[in-house]
Amino acid sequence: MSSHAATLDPHQDATTATGIPNKKLLFWAFLASDCMFFGALISTHLVYRQHPPPGTPLPTQVFNIELTSFSTFILLMSSLMMALAVNAIQRGQVRSMRRALLTTALFGLIFLGCQVYEFRDFVYEKHLTITNSIFGSTFFTLTGTHGTHVAVGVLWLLSMYAYSFRKGFGTRSAIDVESMGLYWHFVDIVWIVIFTAVYLLEYVLPAAR
Amino acid sequence: MDVALPSDSPGHAKASSRFHVFVQIAMVLAVITGLEILLIFLPFAKPLLIGGLVLLSAVKFMFVIFVFMHLRWDRIFCTILFFIGLVLAGGIMWALVSLFGVKDSLPLTFQP
Repeated sequence: MSSHAATLDPHQDATTATGIPNKKLLFWAFLASDCMFFGALISTHLVYRQHPPPGTPLPTQVFNIELTSFSTFILLMSSLMMALAVNAIQRGQVRSMRRALLTTALFGLIFLGCQVYEFRDFVYEKHLTITNSIFGSTFFTLTGTHGTHVAVGVLWLLSMYAYSFRKGFGTRSAIDVESMGLYWHFVDIVWIVIFTAVYLLEYVLPAAR
Repeated sequence: MDVALPSDSPGHAKASSRFHVFVQIAMVLAVITGLEILLIFLPFAKPLLIGGLVLLSAVKFMFVIFVFMHLRWDRIFCTILFFIGLVLAGGIMWALVSLFGVKDSLPLTFQP
């Protein structure tokens, strides 16, 4: 009943007490909680980066800012494609939505590929691991958690792509695609914060040694 | 069966204009990211650089949540709900960084 009303206008649902589709409301509440989760991880990194143990490599010697900038750009473009996918399904254009979903998933996989390459480079070439330095512990925990979120998002995108071939998939399912879009954009905004607070900050405010 | 909106309907025009908004916002976000990377190599005072980075990140953040996540077109309650979590997250960060400040985060084996 509420899903039918929701497809007429994705931003309103007259059958719910708040006037907002329940699925969307639930998802915003989940994202609010996930903000606190990442807030704790980021602040732990900001606290522990201040006094790296002697002998550990400088983050600026370890980071490859060109690769990270590229992966940031890719994630931003994936966010655009996700917005276009939601826009397409709200207009009833299922094929356009499928193309945009696949492109979003592809960009997500490219981002994950860059993360895997970066992690391997840090561990095998730069000898920064999750256990041998406090910076490594906080860095890999934070970016690894974010990467896991991206991986889950990619799986969800591909599942939604497969689901879109079911009979009856159309504007009635726009709320589901929009919920997925909210998750994907959230992953992007977390990376916006991580890119600044973890990567760029090291070049501007190096830790005291 | 779902049918695409007719091209002369107001809904179609609104959807097309949002398409252009999304693309333009994405270009702006890419430019801002470029500016952030450029900023770290500029020989300005640290408070200015940090302030600049924080401001640029905040602008990107707001663009994504209000445009890509549709908050500007949704009911205000969605914005309030998300900002409750955001404010709490900011509070957690401020509290942790303040509590475990410079001296408190020194390793026990630290030798001055």
